[in-house]
Amino acid sequence: MTRQTPFKNEPLLDFSEEKNRHSIHNGLQELESLIARSAIYARPIINGEELRGAETLSRTDPSDQSATIGVVEFGDIKVAERAVAACTEGLRSWRTTSAEHRATTLNRMAALMRERKSLLTALLIREVGKTWREADADVAEAIDFCDYYAAEMRRLAPPRLTEQVMGEENHYLYQPRGVTVVIAPWNFPLAIACGMSVAALVTGNTVILKPAEQSSLIGYQLARIILEAGVPKEAFAFLPAKGEDVGPYLTGHPEVAMIVFTGSRPVGLSIVESASKVPAGQRMIKKVVAELGGKNAIIVDEDADFDDAIRGVLSSAFGFAGQKCSACSRLIVVGDAYEPFIERLAAATQDLIVGNASDPSSFLGPVVDGEAYERITSTIRSASEQLTLLAQAKVPTELSQRGNFIPPTIFRDVPSTHAIWTDEIFGPVVACARARDFDHALEMATSSEYALTGGVYSRHPQNLQKAKEEFRVGNLYINRGITGALVGRQPFGGFLMSGIGSKAGGPDYLVQFMEPRVVTENTMRRGFSPDVA
Amino acid sequence: MTLDPLLNTKILDMGRRIFADLGNTEPSLLDPRYLNSLLMRWSMRQRDFKVNLFRLVDVLPTLKSNTAIAEHVREYLIPPANKIHPSLGWLISLCENPLLAHVAAGMVRQGVRQMASMFIAGESPTSALPVLQRLRRERYSFTVDLLGEFCVCEKEAKEYQNRYLDAIETLGTTIPTWKEGKPIIEGHPGEESPVCVSVKLSALYSQTSVLNFDRSVAVLSERLTEIARRVRHHGALLYVDAEDSGNNSIIYEAFKRVFGSQEFRDLPYPGIVIQAYSKSSEARVDEMLAFARERGTPIAIRLVKGAYWDYERVVSGQNDWEFPLWTRKESSDAHYEHLSRKLLDNHEVCLPAFGSHNIRSLSHACCYAESIGLSQKDFELQVLYGMAEPIANAFMKRDYLVRMYVPLGELLPGMGYLVRRLLENTSNESFLRHTFFDEDEVSILLKEPHLQPEDCALSSSAPTHPAPSVPTPDNEPSTLSQ
Repeated sequence: MTRQTPFKNEPLLDFSEEKNRHSIHNGLQELESLIARSAIYARPIINGEELRGAETLSRTDPSDQSATIGVVEFGDIKVAERAVAACTEGLRSWRTTSAEHRATTLNRMAALMRERKSLLTALLIREVGKTWREADADVAEAIDFCDYYAAEMRRLAPPRLTEQVMGEENHYLYQPRGVTVVIAPWNFPLAIACGMSVAALVTGNTVILKPAEQSSLIGYQLARIILEAGVPKEAFAFLPAKGEDVGPYLTGHPEVAMIVFTGSRPVGLSIVESASKVPAGQRMIKKVVAELGGKNAIIVDEDADFDDAIRGVLSSAFGFAGQKCSACSRLIVVGDAYEPFIERLAAATQDLIVGNASDPSSFLGPVVDGEAYERITSTIRSASEQLTLLAQAKVPTELSQRGNFIPPTIFRDVPSTHAIWTDEIFGPVVACARARDFDHALEMATSSEYALTGGVYSRHPQNLQKAKEEFRVGNLYINRGITGALVGRQPFGGFLMSGIGSKAGGPDYLVQFMEPRVVTENTMRRGFSPDVA
Repeated sequence: MTLDPLLNTKILDMGRRIFADLGNTEPSLLDPRYLNSLLMRWSMRQRDFKVNLFRLVDVLPTLKSNTAIAEHVREYLIPPANKIHPSLGWLISLCENPLLAHVAAGMVRQGVRQMASMFIAGESPTSALPVLQRLRRERYSFTVDLLGEFCVCEKEAKEYQNRYLDAIETLGTTIPTWKEGKPIIEGHPGEESPVCVSVKLSALYSQTSVLNFDRSVAVLSERLTEIARRVRHHGALLYVDAEDSGNNSIIYEAFKRVFGSQEFRDLPYPGIVIQAYSKSSEARVDEMLAFARERGTPIAIRLVKGAYWDYERVVSGQNDWEFPLWTRKESSDAHYEHLSRKLLDNHEVCLPAFGSHNIRSLSHACCYAESIGLSQKDFELQVLYGMAEPIANAFMKRDYLVRMYVPLGELLPGMGYLVRRLLENTSNESFLRHTFFDEDEVSILLKEPHLQPEDCALSSSAPTHPAPSVPTPDNEPSTLSQ
């Protein structure tokens, strides 16, 4: 069963329905039995063939480090070399398939993911520690990317006449760029990996997908779905590997035409740099699409609805433990609203339920791994020495002994020069500060090097108008939380240090994966033109 | 499904007599002696004006300074006011003048306070005592609801619970000592006590959520139990209010857990609310009747149409979920009558309470009760304080027990409630508007409602996208009584 245009978002599960809560419970149980049978693993897949990796990683549940989910086998440079060779060869045929065929393949992927929704959701909960709602949204977004880019490709594919001129036909059409390396993040391990891969595939490129080390098990499930849906084995390679081992090799490879990356700013910038070098034998200038970080602010105006604003800040800042590029990490409160607002926010933060991601009652779960835990904890520790802690939730001891749990933390009166104010933390940490007035708040919000998301809670018509014009970020949200962009409805992505490349899930995205060509044909022969005759 | 013609004739007859009693009386909001009534009348004429006026009302209590009020009034009201008449816009622009700003701000504050005081009887139980006493003197029963902000933390949840405990204490120690505390109708179960509270359950726990289902039910049951103990101590009555469809599953579960428990299974008439606008309301009625039977002591069931229509519309629309409510107001009305009969048929296990301002709906309940041989003591009617007084009065005079739903609270948390009431009075589909403002034909207002064709293709097979003919939130709610 495939779905045709027009695009419609995959609905998120309505958890007020018992059957939906059951489906996730069942998914978790089914996953548990697969884990027990060692059926959850990840290996490189090249030319449809599963390879054994020399180096392995036992991926443990971030909520409970004593539980192993599965074993990841990493490919090395030799495997990467085979992947590039296979995809270079595969390009010949894949690029000539019809756009309709490729779009239908994406619709089939969406259907497969719908079928396996509860299992995929469960794996997201266990491998990266997403709560139920976040995990469900991740799967829904992956489905959306498939259906949306399928619809987009159908729209873009037919060559179109540029102008009506007698005796001449000018056709504008697109062709794929070539072998594309997709370097995916762990924070939306299904959605973003899927979105970047299918955008490249549907436009006729071949794809080497390198998942994040922390989420290769989900990456493997995605790879299986891509192949099952009908992407030919030579058009797609799955390459779990350590970034430092194969990253530079892949991005510098002369046959690689495009690199699509979502991740940290330093890695993103190094990719841009290495892509600009032209090794011997390289015939093209590499294209890079990179979605990097954010240091996103929410402004709470003096006349804001506090009830709404508090809920919005909590979900934006602490959903998935703040590990979203769109997360709120700065809070700016205007004038006299500052003290009363942060006082209520502090109380609300202290009562949030930090818990095992598998437990549906958890508002937030753990951070992704021990490394993240160490990094964020030490950031909080050093900030605590210089700043005033406004609030910190509690993590029950039995949890902190088992998993990577970091309590939601808010610092108050943070000066705009402090690292907590300027640097991305990627954890459940918020810096808040008071603004003199709304203009000051806008200035504070936009002085960041990043420009990804932002939010305003206000009921002042003129201030809202001003925010629409001057709060220059990729995605501005008014009187609602600032995360959870939907494919098609809220195309996602920013500018400045937040990335290069147009918005994922938006109408300009696929065009980046293609090169436009124009074919001009003189249709007049011997003074005879079909459009005059 | 058509009613027995004889019954329908009786309903029409009763309805006509009620209408005749209304005469020229109007609900206070539309009383032409007040400036507010003028604003309401403009709102009904011009949509932009209404949207902006209600948004202004919503934000006002948070504004501290006169300048801020003047700014908001200007920004919200001048553009739509100019569309009504340029001189109106000019009039409002006067409040920009710094000399006039504080006068204007004072007037606006006063106006909103006056408007709120029509629907909210006081800030606290103590301050509302005179109103409650007046109501009882006028032979109205009441139930008190405490308005609260959304509770974001456990401190707020406990405070809210304490407000309920204190309210029951205050009312429970005072009212029975009044001479007005005596039963309005001797032997009516709803008058076993003059003290009654309606509890917004979800606000008693800050982490109430459908995903936190088990814990939400457990914590809310615990907190409701404490309230129920206080209620029992004073021999008072209690209703647990219905909310949006997400929270309702938690609320019904907690209600059953508390009042099915060993401790409270003999407590008479604990009340629960069922919203007839919900497609699952009949299943809920059946569930609650079965619960009452199994419990062995009757419960009270307030049947309302439901007040979250717009909200549910937006939530289900944005999420592409099946719309859980009837799409047409007339369907809700028809279903309301159907469930009214079911409740009355089962009066031995429940005390039906008909919460509505719709003369047809109320007349239907009264006439059907009579037709199956029930008396005025077997059910009651409920209306919102400050709404539809003339209608309440007409039924009260016919010896029906009429209970006013009386909200108490401060202005800020009261705004959500106030805006809902304003919408209800001015909505295109509002019975009150048609009755008092548009003065529609009585015969149209009393017509027997039927389930509408678009609501007949029931739930399971219904498309997730509602038909385009469905009114969007722009076209207003079909809300009636909370």
